[in-house]
Amino acid sequence: MTATPTERSPDRGFAGPLEQVDDCTWRIPKTYKQGMLVDGLIFADERLIPQLRSDRAPEQVANVAFLPGIQTASLAMPDIHWGYGFCIGGVCATDPAIGGVVSPGGVGYDINCGVRLMRTNLTLADIQPVLLGLVNQLLRDVPVGVGQGGSHRFSPAELRELMQQGVPFLKRRGLATEDDIALTEAEGCIADARPEYVSDRALARGSDQCGTVGAGNHFIEVQVVDRVEDNTAAAAFGLHAGQICVLIHSGSRGLGYQVCDDSLRALRDAPTKYGMHLPDRQLVCAPVESPEGQNYLGAMRAAANYAFCNRQLLMWQVREVFARVLDKPWHSLGMELLYDVAHNIAKIERHQVGGTNKDVCVHRKGATRAFPAGHREIPDRYRVTGQPVIIPGDMGRASWVLRGGPRSMERSFGTTCHGAGRCLSRTAATKAARGRNIQEELLRGGVVARCRSREGLAEEQPLAYKDVDVVVDIVHRAGLSLKVARLRPLGVIKG
Amino acid sequence: MHEIFEHTADLGLRVTAPTLERLMADAASGLFQIIAGDLAQIRPRADHAEQFHVLGADPTWLLFDWISELHAAFELRRMLFCRFDVAIDAAGLHATAHGERYDPARHTLAHEIKAITQHELAVFETAEGWEATLIVDI
Repeated sequence: MTATPTERSPDRGFAGPLEQVDDCTWRIPKTYKQGMLVDGLIFADERLIPQLRSDRAPEQVANVAFLPGIQTASLAMPDIHWGYGFCIGGVCATDPAIGGVVSPGGVGYDINCGVRLMRTNLTLADIQPVLLGLVNQLLRDVPVGVGQGGSHRFSPAELRELMQQGVPFLKRRGLATEDDIALTEAEGCIADARPEYVSDRALARGSDQCGTVGAGNHFIEVQVVDRVEDNTAAAAFGLHAGQICVLIHSGSRGLGYQVCDDSLRALRDAPTKYGMHLPDRQLVCAPVESPEGQNYLGAMRAAANYAFCNRQLLMWQVREVFARVLDKPWHSLGMELLYDVAHNIAKIERHQVGGTNKDVCVHRKGATRAFPAGHREIPDRYRVTGQPVIIPGDMGRASWVLRGGPRSMERSFGTTCHGAGRCLSRTAATKAARGRNIQEELLRGGVVARCRSREGLAEEQPLAYKDVDVVVDIVHRAGLSLKVARLRPLGVIKG
Repeated sequence: MHEIFEHTADLGLRVTAPTLERLMADAASGLFQIIAGDLAQIRPRADHAEQFHVLGADPTWLLFDWISELHAAFELRRMLFCRFDVAIDAAGLHATAHGERYDPARHTLAHEIKAITQHELAVFETAEGWEATLIVDI
């Protein structure tokens, strides 16, 4: 039988200890729960504390501290909210040398969900006369929404190649440039991917979805640089006030979701096998060095490479739409990738822990790598500024470009936030949208919004998110990543 | 019956029913309500009915695997179901799902479900019958 959706408030806020460490760091001491191996550490300030206590995300920060081999602390960024097992905004590094684990829940279903920002040489004055037509054309030509397959289809054999090679696979087909590769995290290909570990069901779900936006919180946004906060870094990133940019947010689509699902099944008995006590079923994990751990990492990397290719194909289609609408080749519109970052991923990285350099498995679940100036994994052209960090906000207010901060390595395993973070549930946002026309409200604020589903606009309305300016202010003050430029939305397409 | 409850970024289903079979059928209806919004737009076609067999004895994993298979039927074959005949025996769950293939000209969809999660997944007996909770990732 059917029923009208009803609401139940999350009964279930967090009443545990939150000790203030400094003006933007709060600790959940490891004495809070028997079994925590390290403290929980949340980057937030007083403005976010009521929100922080309203759901059980802090409890999840404490639960992650149970994971074998965890280093330093179970961390969370200011865009923290309730997830599965791990909170969204969670960061956890484990040491494989002492039995440290990898957990699919620490990456999430949408493996390598991420964002990329493309700049243009267009100004607000150039785009305003054509904005409506441009957004409508994007909605027509770029697959977005539930059930929308893409025009790029790949056989299982081709998908395996794509997952092994990442974006360079697309370059060979004329769908990416050398710069597109150089300006993607990990140069668009994470090494040691094992496409042979990706199931047939995952391949079937991924066959026509590479180059599709999907639904939920994914989108493509036309934006204008609203304000530059750091002239030197902005110049290095090729940004200036009044400039038009395009932000793309999507991940590994059904292929990645299935890889996570398959891995959770495969790992169902691993905690018993390896003698681990975990406080939440969704934290299921295996030692990095175990066959189960290696299988997951191999399949996860394959899905991550698919996600880089998905965002590359989306960007390529956006370039084609701009070229059609403005009747100029995209090269002459200056449509160049600024950077592409993953915000759901696990990576083996070298970090200094307690004075010793170690290779650790860093889980970023709704968190972005933010390597500082000088780090060897940053593209040469950004090495003096630090890695570009792209933070999508909501479709009514703002997004940000940051740069990797000087304290990110010591404080957060080279990591910062990934977005604004939700503050209203989907049902609460839908209720708050009753009797309102979100599309018209956005238009009055200067944003042309096109959404395939009625639910999409209501659930993703600006009020459903925290104020991204507050979130960014905290990571800036904490030195995890520093403000470069604020962008505001002009047009958005969503599922 | 089922209700959809809040989870910050996603949606949860809470289902109550007098029998385990009915619980499984109502949870399935809840899944397709999340995907399609209004189940009344789905017109079952005899030639689109599908059989499902999920093996196992633990009711929690039986629910998880059954709902995951239905989700896969939408993801892989674009099937929308609205009515379910469910039987459970010692081997597991056996069901016929009635519905039709998604037709963009006639159907509107509400949500893309990424996955059926194991977070807070629970099936248990109550004084009145059975109760389940299940959260889906949007």
